[in-house]
Amino acid sequence: MSSDVILVIVVGTALAFDFTNGFHDTANVVATSISTGAARPQVAIAMASLLNFAGAFISISVAATVANDVVNADVITPTIVFAGLIGAIAWNLITWSFGLPSSSSHALIGGVVGSAVAAVGFDAVIAEGLVGKVLVPAIVAPVLAFAVAGLSIGLIYRVVGKQRPGTVTRGFKYGQVVSGGLLALAHGTNDAQKTMGIITLALIANGSLAAGADPPFWVIASAAAAIALGTYSGGWRIIKTTGTRIIKMDAAQGFSSQGAGSAVILASTHFGFPLSTTHVINGGIMGAGAAKRFSAVRWGVAGNIVTAWVLTLPAAAAIGALAYGLTRIFGTGALGPVVVTLASLSLIVALFARRAERGAPVPASSG
Amino acid sequence: MTLATLVEGKAMLETVIASAIAGIGVTFVFSVAIWGVARFADLSRNERPLAAGAAALVAALALLATVAVLVFGIVVMTSK
Repeated sequence: MSSDVILVIVVGTALAFDFTNGFHDTANVVATSISTGAARPQVAIAMASLLNFAGAFISISVAATVANDVVNADVITPTIVFAGLIGAIAWNLITWSFGLPSSSSHALIGGVVGSAVAAVGFDAVIAEGLVGKVLVPAIVAPVLAFAVAGLSIGLIYRVVGKQRPGTVTRGFKYGQVVSGGLLALAHGTNDAQKTMGIITLALIANGSLAAGADPPFWVIASAAAAIALGTYSGGWRIIKTTGTRIIKMDAAQGFSSQGAGSAVILASTHFGFPLSTTHVINGGIMGAGAAKRFSAVRWGVAGNIVTAWVLTLPAAAAIGALAYGLTRIFGTGALGPVVVTLASLSLIVALFARRAERGAPVPASSG
Repeated sequence: MTLATLVEGKAMLETVIASAIAGIGVTFVFSVAIWGVARFADLSRNERPLAAGAAALVAALALLATVAVLVFGIVVMTSK
C-alpha cells in the first residue's frame, strides 16, 4: 500500500517535471521564429505544443536509455526516483527564475544520479551509460549544432546573397514555420521520452513492470500531454534570452539554427541519446551568429548560459541527494515523499508570489 | 575502463554524419528554392518569360526536394 502511494506521488511528480520541461524549453522551440517575426507568439507556441504532443509518440529509444542505461534499475526504489525528480524540478525553477536556458534533461539525469548515489552509493550508477550516452553527447551535440548551423548559414549567404533581401527574408520566414515545427517535433521525441523513461524506471523499481520493459501506452500518452501543456503555458523569460539576447538574428539565421537543431536532435533520438535540446538549439543560434560575424554573438550572455549548462548536472545531483536525505528522515514509507512534496509546493508558491510582487514575467507582446 | 570503451563510437559518428548531411542538405536545397523564386520575380519584372519559367522550375524542384528530404529524414531517424 505504502509503495503504491509513493508510486502515485512519483508519477505525479514526473508529470509535473514534464510540464516544467515543456514550460522551460518552449523557448528553444519558438524563440527564433518569434524573434525574426516568422510567426506570431501565440500561434508559434500553440503549434509547438501540438507538435510536441505528436513527437512524443514517435520513438521510445531515449526512454529505454533513461530507464535502463543510466542507473542500475535493480537497486533503484521509487523514493530514489522521487528525490531525483525534486532535484530536477528545483534546478529547472532556479534557472527559470534567472531566465537561463539550462538543460531540463541533464537536470533530470543529474537529479536521479544524485539521489541514487546518496541512497546506494556509486554502484547504482552505470558508468558506460552515463558517460557514453549522456556526458559525451552533451559535449558533442551543441558543438555539432554550432558547426552545422555555421556551415548552413555560410551556404545560404552564398546561394541567395545577391538576391533581393525582401524576397529572401520572406522565403526564410516561411521556411522557419516548417523548421520551427520540425524542431518542436524533435523536441517532443527526445524530451517527452525522458519522463517516460523515469516513470518506467519507477514502475520497474516498484515491481509493476519487468526490467527492460518498454513504457506502457498510458505513460507515453500522459507524458506527451504534460509536455504539450507545459509548452503551451510558455516561458517568456527564457524566450527573450534565447530569441534576442544571444544574437540579433535574421530569418535565414533562424532557419539555419532551427534546421541544424532539428537534424542533431532527430539523429540523436534515433540512437537513443537523451541529449539536451536546450544545448543543441542554443549551440545552433551561436553558430549561425558567429558564422556571419563572430562579434555578433553576445559572448557574455553565451558565457552565462554555458555556466548554467556546466552547473546543471552537479547542482541537480546535489539537490536530488539532499531531497533523498530529507525524505529518509521520515522513514522508508510514504510520509517522506508526502512531506517533501508539500514543502516543495510551498517553496514554488513562494517563488511565484515573490516574482509577482517584483513584477510580472516578460509579457507575450514583447517576445 | 577507458573513455573509448565507454563511448558508442559508431553510433556517435553516424549521428554526426547524419546531422551534418540532413542539416546542411535541407538548408542548401531550400536556399536554391528561394533563389529560384527571387530570380523568377526579377526575370518576370524584366519581361524575360523563358528564363523566368526556368527559374520557377528550379524553385519548384528544389522545394519538392526539400519536402522529400524532410519526410525521408523523419522516417529514417524515427524508425528503429
